[in-house]
This record gives sequence, C-alpha cells and structure tokens, in this order.
Amino acid sequence: MSAVIEFQHVTKIYKRMFSEEKLAALSDVSFEMPPGQVCAFLGPNGAGKTTSISMLMGFFFPTSGKIRVFGKPPGDMLAKEQLGFLPENFAFHKFLTAPKLLRFHLQLAGRNPANAGNLIADLLNKVKLNGYENLKIGRYSRGMVQRIGIAQALLCDPKLIVLDEPTSGLDPAGRREVLQLLAQLKAEGKTIFLSSHILPEVEQIADHVIIINRGKMVRSGRLQDLLASGGQVEIVADRVPPELAQGVFRGALLESVQQGVRVLVEAARKREAVEALWAAGCDVIAMTPQRNTLEELFLKEVDRPGGAQ
Amino acid sequence: MKLRAIALNTFSSLLRNKIIIVFCAGCVCVLLLMLTPLLVLRNGRGAQNAEMMQMAVLPLIASMMQFISGFGSLLAAWAAADAVAGEMRSGTILAMLARPVRRWEFLLGKFLGVQLMMFVFVLIMLGLNYLLAWIGGASIQTNPWVLIVYPMVRYMIYSALGILLVTVMHPILAFCIVLVTMIGAGLVAPGNAETFMPDWLRTGLFYVFPSSNLLSETRFLTITRATLRAAVWTDHAIALVYGLDYALVCFLLAAWIFRSRSLSRD
Repeated sequence: MSAVIEFQHVTKIYKRMFSEEKLAALSDVSFEMPPGQVCAFLGPNGAGKTTSISMLMGFFFPTSGKIRVFGKPPGDMLAKEQLGFLPENFAFHKFLTAPKLLRFHLQLAGRNPANAGNLIADLLNKVKLNGYENLKIGRYSRGMVQRIGIAQALLCDPKLIVLDEPTSGLDPAGRREVLQLLAQLKAEGKTIFLSSHILPEVEQIADHVIIINRGKMVRSGRLQDLLASGGQVEIVADRVPPELAQGVFRGALLESVQQGVRVLVEAARKREAVEALWAAGCDVIAMTPQRNTLEELFLKEVDRPGGAQ
Repeated sequence: MKLRAIALNTFSSLLRNKIIIVFCAGCVCVLLLMLTPLLVLRNGRGAQNAEMMQMAVLPLIASMMQFISGFGSLLAAWAAADAVAGEMRSGTILAMLARPVRRWEFLLGKFLGVQLMMFVFVLIMLGLNYLLAWIGGASIQTNPWVLIVYPMVRYMIYSALGILLVTVMHPILAFCIVLVTMIGAGLVAPGNAETFMPDWLRTGLFYVFPSSNLLSETRFLTITRATLRAAVWTDHAIALVYGLDYALVCFLLAAWIFRSRSLSRD
C-alpha cells in the first residue's frame, strides 16, 4: 500500500531578509505514513511541528527534500480534494454562522451547497454545535471555534485528516468527545495525522508516533513497539534464592507479592534472569513487559542530550 | 463557484471592515462640507446670485467629483490590500487554501470581491453626479456607461496594484506607495503644468505610473451641452484597453509572487 504522506530528507531553513542569519526549523526529516492509521506527530514547542504541517499543506516550501501527499506534491489540487485540515488556533470569518461557514467551504471545495442541508446538520450534530446555527462565529467560545474547525475539516469526507492541536482550548469533556470522534474516524478507515501536546490522549488513539525535537526526528515507529521497547520486564517467581538475589538480580528491584517474589529486570536481561530462576529450581509464574507511557517516552527522547538519532 | 464564493465572502468582509467604514464616513463628511456652499448658492435668489451660481457651481461640482473619484482609487487600493492581508493576519487564509483552491484563484476571488464593492461605490458616485448637477441647476449630458466603466477600470488598476504590493509588504506600506503613485501619476501627466522635474524623468515616470488622467471619467463628465466634448469609440477603446492591460499586468505579477510566498498567520 502506498504511503499517504511521505517526507524524504526534508530540510527547512528560515532566512531573514537582508541578513545572514539562518534558522534550521527542520533538518533531514524522513518518514512515511501508511493509509488507515492515526499518526501522532509530537515534539516540544518550537520543535518544527507546525512548520512540517505547513509544508505538508503546501503553505511553506522545503529548502531541500521532497514531500508527497497521496503521491502528489503538497498543494496539488487532487491531493487537496482528499484532505481535511484543522490549523493550530483556527480562525474563521467572524461574521458567518456555522452553517454559512460550512457552505462557504463546500463551495471552495467545488461542491454545490444547495443540497447540503443534511450534511451540515449531521456535522454540527457530530461536533455538538447543533442549536447554535444562528450564532455568529465571532461570538463563539474558544472551544466552539475548535469544534467548528473540526467540522470543516471533516466536511468533504476526506481520506486524510491533518489536525494541528485539535483538542487545544477544549475542556476535558470536549477533549473526550474529540477523541471519541477521532476513534470513530479511525474505525471508518480514515488516515489521521495529528499534532498534540496532550500525550495521554494521543496514546489512546495513535497507531504510529513520530517525535521531533529541534527540527530533527528523534524517534518514529509503531506506538506499541515504542512503548514496549527499552523498558523493563516484570518477573513473578514463587521464590528467589539469596544467591540469585546477590548474583543475577543484584541491583534489581525485588519485592514480595502474594504469589511469591516480584522482580523488575531490564528487558535485555529477561532470558538470563528466567534461565537462572529455572536453573535454581524456582517456578516462574508470570513474565510481563512493563510498558512506558507515551509521556515517559516523549520526555526521555526530548531530554536526551544531543536530541537526534 | 470557488471564485464566486471567495468574491462574495470578500465583499461581505469589506462591508464590515471598520477601516473602510471610517474611511467612507470621512469621505461623506468632507462631501457634506463641500456641499454647503452649493446649497447656500442654490437657496439664494436674484440675478446676482444666478451669475455667481453659473461661475461657482461647475468648478465646485468638478472638484467634488474629482475628490470622490480620487478617494475611490485609494479605497480600491486599500480594500484590495486589506482583503488579502486581512486573511493572512487572521489566519483564515490557511483554511481557505487547504481546500482545492489555487493561489491565483484566491487572489482573483479577492480581486473580484473588491471590484464588486467598487461597483457599488461607482453606482453611488453616479447617483451623486446626477444629484449634484440637479442641485447646481444643470444636467449631465455624458453617457452613463462612461461614468461607470472608466472609474471601474481605474479602480481595477489601483486594486491590482494594491494586491501586487501587499504580496510583498505590509498593507499600510502598500497603501502609502499607491498614494505616492497616484500623486506621481497626476504630476507627470502630459496636461500638468508642473515642470520641476527633468523631461526624461517625467516621461519615464509617465510610462511607469498608471495614467489616471487618461482613465479619468471627468474628461467626459460634461455638465452642460455647451461644454460637450465628443470622443470617438477608438478613444474609449484605447483608454480602457490600456487600463485593463495595466491592471492585468499588476495582477499577473501579484499571482506570480504569491505562488511562492510562504503563508502563515501573521
């Protein structure tokens, strides 16, 4: 299956006019995103997320490297027809009401808004904005603006949805609703490219994670693999003889539990540990990989000296 | 459909634009002040007053129309510059260009929206022409299409120039440059008696600046039959084609620059 989004050695350098000053916003970033997945694009403030998304949408142009969306260059009309986009801090024409805004965007997409009454009503219902049809967007709260932004991103049934901070400005209930909506879209087979700072929420829906820091990609892969890798393994045995506690398990965390003894060892040493227990005649009751949380992984990667891979 | 949507949206935005509303309110105030002597003269009776009326009314109407017409050019430039810059300032451009809309389509939609507003302005100006002539006790003999098409073409030039400049600079700076261009075009026009600049500079600037005088409908604005000036259709065609060509060049340049411009929320 061909990738929906491809970044190939993309570099973006900002130059100040009439000055030699240069700022590398992105350096040699490469990744691919297969269809039907939710990809979380993570990074601290100033890492280059919005620059990447802007290049993906064709608003900025890379200094070097190649970007493809549905196999086409960013900004291509055919690619844009299959794409829904929610920018960070979304802004709308404040004098419009939600139905008028959605009709306007339908017209921009080249569709006839005359028979779109049901579609618009459904979308407003989906983002819980029904009942506010006559209220001008200028009078909306921050959360309502975000919801109408999501509604317009979903307007033309896009195959790829690019969301830059979709839950910012929403209260916890609003965030949960957006997450449920994203989960529903994922179930419908949509591809979602998502940038967010709220990592526990991202962890609930993402299949794939890309972490960038200071313009460089520091980690990328399937969320399951990333969270499991590099962690620890919990081994529960009926007992741990003192010679093993002083030997193989020296320095490891040992604690008594109902079934026996719980030991936490590095994932790389799990085979050695289990074989030692068996050799000592102990019964291994359970062995469970300890998952990192996405937040732990993110902080570890971002705080790592040097930053990039 | 896309162009129509952008144009109508731009038109709606411009009607709500506070700067343009203040701009227009200022213009109306100046017009009302200029109207006062005309109304005073009209109110007076007697032979002496009738003579004064003859002497004062036509220059007064001409200066008022020139003022409105010049104001329209500035309004067209500002509206066009702000229509594009406003979308970038607010960030609404990002949502619009995320749709299958080409950048030149966006600019053309904006341009058409501004022309729609200027058309309304021209119609108001036309009505005002007739009103002023009526107050002055005269009648307009010029064909109305001249009073509509000429200013429209001139406003196209200034709005295209505004769009061109705003693709590379701040709208206020763009507006200032348009203002300087307007003044410069007036100074280097062939009929102008000012001779403080050398001929080579004057000629050069004449070719660079839009020839507003050529496109001035006041050339044809004849209030009485006695001053009727005949113009053959080729005169009109040349003047209008010149104006449209100037606007087209400015617009194409703007589209060319805009296609490679980075877009972000300013």
